[in-house]
Amino acid sequence: MAQKDKQTPVDSYLGEKIKSREGSFYMFLWPVFSVLLGLAASGMMMLLLGHNPFLVFLKLFSFAFRDMYNVADIFAKAAPLILTGLAFGFAFRATLFNIGGQGQFYMGCVAAVFCALKLYFLPSFFLLLVCLSASMLAGGAWGAFVGYTKARFNASEFLISMMSTYVALAIMNYMLRGPLKEIKGEYPQTDVIAQNAWIPTLVPHTRLHWGFVLALGIALVAYFVLWKTSLGFKIRAVGMNRNAARYAGIDEKRVFIVVFLISGAFAGLAGFMEVNGIQHMLVQGFNPMIGAEGIGIAILGNAHPLGIVLSAILFGALKVGGNLVVQTSTIPSSIIGIMEGFVMLFVILSYFLQDKITTRRSKKELRSKEKGGVSR
Amino acid sequence: MSIDHAVSLKKITKSFPGTLANDEVSLIVEPGEVLALLGENGAGKTTLMKILYGMYQPDEGEIFIQGRKVTIRSPHDAMSNGIGMIHQHFMLIPVHTVVENIVLGLRSDSGKSCRIKEAAQEISRLGRQYGLEVDPYALVRQLPVGMQQRVEILKALYRGARILIMDEPTAVLTPQETSRLFEFVREFTDAGNSVIFITHKLNEVMEIADRVNVMRDGRMVGSLRKEEADENVLATMMVGRELQLTTGERDKLPGKTPVLEVKGLYVKSNRGNMALEDLSLQIREGEIFGIAGVSGNGQEELAETLCGLRRKESGEILLSGIQISGQNALSMIREGIGYIPADRHLEGLVLDMSVEENLVLKNHGEEGLSRQGILFWKNIRDLARKKVKDFSIKTPGPGTRVKALSGGNQQKVVVAREIMIGTRCLVAVQPTRGLDLGAADYVHKVLMEERSKGKAILLISTELSEVMTLSDRIGVIYGGRILRTFDREDADIEKVGLLMAGINGDKNGTEG
Amino acid sequence: MIWTGLLARAIQMSTPLMIGSLAEVYAERTGMMIIAIEGIFLLGAWGGFVGAYLSGSMFLGLLLAMAVGVMAGSVYGFFTIKLKQHQIVTGTAINIFAAGLALYLYRVFFGVPLLPLTVEPLAPLSIPVLCDIPLIGQALFNQNILTYIAFLIMPAGYWVLFKTPLGLTLRSTGENPEAVDSAGINVEKVRFLTVLFASAMDGLAGAFYSIGFLGLYTNDIIGGRGWIAFAICFLGNWNPMGALLGALVFGLADAASIVIQTSGFRLIPNEFLIAIPYILTIVATIARKQFNVPAVLGVPYVKERK
Repeated sequence: MAQKDKQTPVDSYLGEKIKSREGSFYMFLWPVFSVLLGLAASGMMMLLLGHNPFLVFLKLFSFAFRDMYNVADIFAKAAPLILTGLAFGFAFRATLFNIGGQGQFYMGCVAAVFCALKLYFLPSFFLLLVCLSASMLAGGAWGAFVGYTKARFNASEFLISMMSTYVALAIMNYMLRGPLKEIKGEYPQTDVIAQNAWIPTLVPHTRLHWGFVLALGIALVAYFVLWKTSLGFKIRAVGMNRNAARYAGIDEKRVFIVVFLISGAFAGLAGFMEVNGIQHMLVQGFNPMIGAEGIGIAILGNAHPLGIVLSAILFGALKVGGNLVVQTSTIPSSIIGIMEGFVMLFVILSYFLQDKITTRRSKKELRSKEKGGVSR
Repeated sequence: MSIDHAVSLKKITKSFPGTLANDEVSLIVEPGEVLALLGENGAGKTTLMKILYGMYQPDEGEIFIQGRKVTIRSPHDAMSNGIGMIHQHFMLIPVHTVVENIVLGLRSDSGKSCRIKEAAQEISRLGRQYGLEVDPYALVRQLPVGMQQRVEILKALYRGARILIMDEPTAVLTPQETSRLFEFVREFTDAGNSVIFITHKLNEVMEIADRVNVMRDGRMVGSLRKEEADENVLATMMVGRELQLTTGERDKLPGKTPVLEVKGLYVKSNRGNMALEDLSLQIREGEIFGIAGVSGNGQEELAETLCGLRRKESGEILLSGIQISGQNALSMIREGIGYIPADRHLEGLVLDMSVEENLVLKNHGEEGLSRQGILFWKNIRDLARKKVKDFSIKTPGPGTRVKALSGGNQQKVVVAREIMIGTRCLVAVQPTRGLDLGAADYVHKVLMEERSKGKAILLISTELSEVMTLSDRIGVIYGGRILRTFDREDADIEKVGLLMAGINGDKNGTEG
Repeated sequence: MIWTGLLARAIQMSTPLMIGSLAEVYAERTGMMIIAIEGIFLLGAWGGFVGAYLSGSMFLGLLLAMAVGVMAGSVYGFFTIKLKQHQIVTGTAINIFAAGLALYLYRVFFGVPLLPLTVEPLAPLSIPVLCDIPLIGQALFNQNILTYIAFLIMPAGYWVLFKTPLGLTLRSTGENPEAVDSAGINVEKVRFLTVLFASAMDGLAGAFYSIGFLGLYTNDIIGGRGWIAFAICFLGNWNPMGALLGALVFGLADAASIVIQTSGFRLIPNEFLIAIPYILTIVATIARKQFNVPAVLGVPYVKERK
């Protein structure tokens, strides 16, 4: 048989489970339940440290909506998450696993900060454009490497993208310790970048910048590409049935490379968001979980741009909420990771329940139908 | 009855999401009897037997073995009750040896050794006793399919099975191998054992069964003794209505000009050896050329090469006299070669995509359907609507997921698409596999229609009756080449069967 | 001298990789990928430290590490085997969760200490006579107990997997679970028990980093080495002896990078030395053709499906 893909069983099972959940109205209820349960479970963890979770959450809500700052911060935090979520989700549509979003993010950060520092003399608009493009190119190239190894050597993109993150980390750390280091020379970080490299603020007196709008735009682009273009059609076909796509004349190797290029570019762009939009510099060890969170967000969002945007906002809310909890009590910041983990686990549980209910319902329908005369 | 039935199933009911597979089915098998379980694909035969074998649990119903009520919760229970099953898709581990496959899961209380050396000796003994010799240390994946089936049978015999369930065992055998299997079945039942023989082939029933039970849509619709049954009665029971089958009558003769020519084709298989060696054939305008042969003799590789999925080492492929390179699938599609693949789920359709998406899977980049990479969904939908109508595809709409369609309608989608693509030539591989009689007949009708339109059609099938009914000429493939080509009138099943086994003067009988 | 130090360090660093990759080999042979491996390593490191610090006994620390591993593994197994959810999704969730949980529980137990808490790492056990062999003696036979265990379980793991009926069952489960099912074996049970075994081993491997080597616990103590163990399973062709070889190679890379860093050799930046194992994994993954991938790796076994 012409190189029958050993991945086909996984693909079709996946296609059945995750992608076929689109279009269900209940889609929104389940994540809400999962979040509530996740928060409840995190609350129980708070008891371990002697805190009353009800009081904690009460304080949290009173602080959260007191002013625009925190609400706006939710979207500010969501912006890069939308992108790392899209990074994993877009590749996932081709049943490719881009676990290297974190590394592509780092490369985007390095590229963005490099341009910002070296080209500070450019007028703001052009400077931002350059930084933006550089971050997408860097992330895209870093991702395309993974896609290339998959196309050419049929290497496990899971492993390679995973390892590439650690290599990217090494590169970033080296840059921070050396070529890009601050003038003061004290810490492994860059100088603050010039004002004209800052992404303009969307809502005054908050951290919310135009990058959020850009992220929404990118989500729209991702949607358009996947469902309205020839390329997207090929990507989805390869993702749902690699063999049939091959038989249909689709060049899967080209798809691998293009998908990882785009996916990496998304993650790299997240770097631009964080460097030029929030931090205005590059520090060692910042946003270390943004890649993994992107994966979680993509899963929660069913690898669909709309779902990803909503899940990113949800995670943003969790982060802001979590930070508030940390600030208003002595609960450590690791509670955030716990909340995210619990929410993800409960969402996975909800997938199971959803499928079970659908199955039971169709069994009941069958029984009540007059016996016999069933079509498969 | 004073003698207990070997097996008695009473009112077995089983449902899956979306289907009522078994609806209060009852069945009796006597000792020393061969019972044929006949029905179309999807009638519920395999499900029923998997319940007997403990792989599925019934929702309702009872099972009696030799008059005793038993609960069969797993194949282990089934085997303790002397029930063995030879599955349609072999339950074998290709990368392990015969012995390893046979002793898998053997418990220490079964009384049989699971030490490799002792087991191997016992397996050889059993093989000799029943005429099912196999090399115990061979890797299963290196064995031809007929031998693999022996391993399946020996697995059951090793565990002392007295009731054998065989699920479509002849699907992969040559006519000669089928005869040998039937000999084994008779020997086995003469010794007082029972065999339940699942099949959808009417002729086999007439040959081997003592009694026939017919299932349809999950219900048992009749039980006849061999003397009471004939093919027409059985067919009507299977389908539930009178069926006018395509007889392959032809109004036109094929033209003179060859459309598709293959000269001296050498193609490598996945394992590195030559799957096709100096294969040549010619198909003329308005002709159906059928290739008969046991699976594994190069048909797959031939089909894949013709649709651009496999490189040729040397040789030529010509379309209307012009050489085509066949570098990749896309170029073959552009040349106008349609390809109906053997496995529509694996190779033909993207199940989670809609009918319209599947219809344009190959040609979505063309004029009218897209421009500069952007798809015109309106045009695609219009095209899909037309095809749904032309081919009577039963679907709620062109946007429905293909997965929701029945097997026959899914195949219609594939056929509709390939006829659209295959403007000059069609390659059809096992086009009616897994389809019920009505759907299979439709596919045959369509192929005959395309033939009348002047297309060259290559039909590759292991279903000999299909090949012989539809083809203008038949080529028997063996060991990567066409041994002999028959004209329609000259072909008879004996000659073809021998050639399928490679008997053309030499006596190999194993695949190349 | 440098050579002996390097070899000793290499063998030391390869210990957790051996244990972790053997665990992964067993799991993947039944068709399960333990995507939660990095998280379980981390939880094992935590468990080992907490157990050893609170009880004063190394043995109890290791036991707790394994217990924690099993708990995490049972959650993973439940979601992926019983609920048949996707392994990468579930594993990622557990990895994220584990990172937060380990740090949080450290805080629960110890608050915020002024100085990092330490325990005396596992002492090396010299094997008399053998440890006096010139050149390799000190390196090979003056290691701690975990290393000796690791070297013993690799060949034992090979023997069980390829020479016993249990091993046959495990390997068959990953190739054709339907065949195993039809032989009367409960596929889910086999997979679940294997996952529990593997996660106990992963917990043990993680504990090596905290109580076997450094003597303390930090949140980045594992630093991706769980993933390297995961990769070694692939690279070793799903064979314990191949994994042993792989673990030694990567342990050597790890050790070399540390030795070069501390030797003051400044030509290559430190960061790149640290990255050597990861780059090596990439190269090896590209070079290796996947011969023996268990046929149904990653696919949940759905029994009653028509």
